[in-house]
Amino acid sequence: MESKIDISDHISHRYNDELEDLRNQVMEMGGLVERQLQDGLKALQKSDMPLAEKVASADDEVNAKEIAIDKRCTQILVRRQPAASDLRLVLAIIKTINDLERVGDEAEKLGRYAIHLYEHNAKIGDFTEIKHLGKHVREMLSKTLDAFIRMDVQSAIATIQSDDEINEEFDSIMRQLTSKMMEDPSHIKETLRVLWAARALERIGDHAKNICEYVVYLVKGEDVRHTNLVALLEEHPELNDE
Amino acid sequence: MATENAEEKSNKVDIEQQLGETVGEQFTDEQKFALRNVDVYYGDNHAIQDISMDIAPNEVVAFIGPSGCGKSTFLRVLNRMNDTIDICRVSGDIRLDGEDIYDKKMDPVLLRARVGMVFQKPNPFPKSIYDNVAYGPKLHGLASSRAELDDIVRTSLKRAGLLKEVENRLDEPGTGLSGGQQQRLCIARTIAVSPEVILMDEPASALDPIATAIIEELIDELRENYTIAIVTHSMQQAARISQRTAYFHLGKLVEMGPTEKIFTNPDHTLTENYITGRFG
Amino acid sequence: MNKNTEVIKGTLAKRYAKERRFRMLGMISVFLGLLFLVVLLLGILFKAAPAFTQHYLSIDMNYDADSLGVGTNPSIKELEGANYRGLIRNTLYAQFPEVTQRNDKRELAALISGSAEYQIRDALLANPALLNNNARVQVLLDDDVDTYLKNNTHSGRVNEQQISWINTLENSGAVERGFNRNLFTNGDSREPESAGLLGATMGSLYALTICLLVSFPIGVMAAIYLEEFAPKNRWVDLIEININNLAAVPSIVFGLLGLAVFLNFFGMPRSAPLVGGLVLALLTLPTIIIASRSAIKSVPPSIREAALGLGASKMQTVFQHVVPLAMPGILTGAIIGSARALGEAAPLLMIGMVAFIVDVPEGFTDASTVLPIQIFLWADSPERAFIAMTSAATIVLLVFLICMNGLAIWLRKRFEKQW
Repeated sequence: MESKIDISDHISHRYNDELEDLRNQVMEMGGLVERQLQDGLKALQKSDMPLAEKVASADDEVNAKEIAIDKRCTQILVRRQPAASDLRLVLAIIKTINDLERVGDEAEKLGRYAIHLYEHNAKIGDFTEIKHLGKHVREMLSKTLDAFIRMDVQSAIATIQSDDEINEEFDSIMRQLTSKMMEDPSHIKETLRVLWAARALERIGDHAKNICEYVVYLVKGEDVRHTNLVALLEEHPELNDE
Repeated sequence: MATENAEEKSNKVDIEQQLGETVGEQFTDEQKFALRNVDVYYGDNHAIQDISMDIAPNEVVAFIGPSGCGKSTFLRVLNRMNDTIDICRVSGDIRLDGEDIYDKKMDPVLLRARVGMVFQKPNPFPKSIYDNVAYGPKLHGLASSRAELDDIVRTSLKRAGLLKEVENRLDEPGTGLSGGQQQRLCIARTIAVSPEVILMDEPASALDPIATAIIEELIDELRENYTIAIVTHSMQQAARISQRTAYFHLGKLVEMGPTEKIFTNPDHTLTENYITGRFG
Repeated sequence: MNKNTEVIKGTLAKRYAKERRFRMLGMISVFLGLLFLVVLLLGILFKAAPAFTQHYLSIDMNYDADSLGVGTNPSIKELEGANYRGLIRNTLYAQFPEVTQRNDKRELAALISGSAEYQIRDALLANPALLNNNARVQVLLDDDVDTYLKNNTHSGRVNEQQISWINTLENSGAVERGFNRNLFTNGDSREPESAGLLGATMGSLYALTICLLVSFPIGVMAAIYLEEFAPKNRWVDLIEININNLAAVPSIVFGLLGLAVFLNFFGMPRSAPLVGGLVLALLTLPTIIIASRSAIKSVPPSIREAALGLGASKMQTVFQHVVPLAMPGILTGAIIGSARALGEAAPLLMIGMVAFIVDVPEGFTDASTVLPIQIFLWADSPERAFIAMTSAATIVLLVFLICMNGLAIWLRKRFEKQW
């Protein structure tokens, strides 16, 4: 489906530039967060301590980016009083950066857990499911950012639906870890850390889902949060690619 | 020069191709005004082309659109102000509470007492404040005594939020007031006749932001008792005060719907282009 | 400073020079205009000045019943028919006992205005008790003597002998110079010393009254109809063009029209202010219509919209709002139009208002003349004294016009409203 969101063509060229710049900033922030997640996962899996330290401290950069984008959004709201698609774009960006910042927080947690597990000589590499979950979440985040940048509703809806798989994977990891803790109570502390890392990944999936919902709102003008996607899909059958 | 003209022409055709049926919800369950297939011609110029819409009781409807889109012309159809223009011809079915207002039996004087109008430029008569407000009631014989007339004048001024400011100088000329006060005087003058509908043709376009805010607040209060149709150039104003918004383009009604919908997610590309400030 | 600034700087001097030249030309033309006006006015004033004064002869007179040829207790009718000419001549001859020749006597009598006998008659009729009593009376001198005394030059109209008699009278203190009352209280006369403007002024006033009574209501109504009610079509355009053309028609044509329609067709009285007024009304009608239309047009449409929007009918809108606001302009137009009518002579010539009329008119149908025609008549008269009289009449007409224009300005200020 052709996207009907087009941020150019305003009578004011400066306005076009401002919106374009805003979008680029979000892309940059997305890239930053993506790398954090990647580094966090790598640190966790390879017990790479310098990398883990870096992840734990690099969140400041993401936070600063969020504040900068927020400021720009406020400026546009005040100066341009955007309406319709422009308004939705700014609103979606304000919410998206909030979720991206949370993703950054979760990635930072991965780094901290990696340090903890290393200090207690436990290796995450033992849990292949976490590896699998991490890969899935990374894919989901990258698809989400892609959908956002291309304002692709179809891909956004597909990504929203893929969150269910991640939740299922997390449930199975939780079950495994629970039985492991019952079998070997001496390692409960480390196992819990692993569980928390899995939970952080599951959270990142939730945030990615939120962002995809904003994309749907941005393009379609309809809020699909907390509602059944089925209704939207019934209304727009062309969105369902499955 | 010639190529430029050709370009302009082709551009226009494009726009006309985009103009189809009105989108959105132009009809309502309850109707104060019901307009069907309204056409207005100025000589050979087809100024309003096949517009149908409803205006519900006690709602504020905003008409927006670029200059020359016919929104003011359309507003003037509602109280037959176009009658005064010789070359203007109106066709279609226009009903106020079920009565055809362009019927031969409908008296334009009576219609204008029922459908009042406030104009773009404040236009008080060069008379005292009191006489300005009292003119309508006197004209229609609405007050049987001086005391009753006094009462009508004071209530109207109060409703228009002007009484406090002018209480002690009712016999001073209305033209001596500030622009915002003059416009409120004109609103008081209009509501002194107790119309059912008030038409406003860009009532705040000549006023500063504070005076505008006061007028907007007034419109919100007036909605309890009157049905209001307002033409405005300011989209923010339309967004602030109206329940439904209609977007006109080249004499056609492009889109009409709840104001929130029009300003967050309009259905028509032309509406979207207009309210977001894009080339249309 | 960029390149353009330099270029602009270079052109500035030229531009300002152009501006100065233009301003200078404007000032010169204004000055020339004023100069012509001043020369004209001063010329008229200097010429007119002698006409405002006149020389009188004061002599003691005995209203002797015998000289008058009446009885001791005469009736009014007898007094009216008495021989005043003999009385005044005898009184004058008594002043110069040495004059005995018949020719000389006639020349002596010619010193006194022909109107003198009527003056003493009126004095006696007003006060019959004067009969057989002495009284000092003031009689007018003849216009030639008056002119001689004013200019002190020998013009040939008075001979040496007359001059010596005048000098004798002057030395005895009998000759006095006084304000010329006759100019404002008499009608026209063949004798310059007793000719006055009252007849012409009244004629002008009567004609103007008729003119305004006819043209103002018709003109204003026509303007209101054309401007507010008439449909915009070819016929109305045609009428509009014709009204504009009518304003440019030479005024004598209106006189011909008046002659053909009012006198020949309707059989109205000749030389009457009624007909004059009607002809002037035709003349001013286009002016009033055009002025009223532009006044009505200048009332802002927002006022009309406001009234219509409140439910006023077209008629109420026009008469309650538009006309009152246009009134100053309409009144100004009417007054300017009638001022023009006041100055018109040509059309009135055609309807016989050029006749010589002594009596002051007392109504709209009495024969009379008007100020501009009076000026024309006097200018055409051979007597030397009429030269000054013509200028005096011009001044009276100008004062009349200035008063009317002043009235127009006052009305405009009085009724003007801000909107």
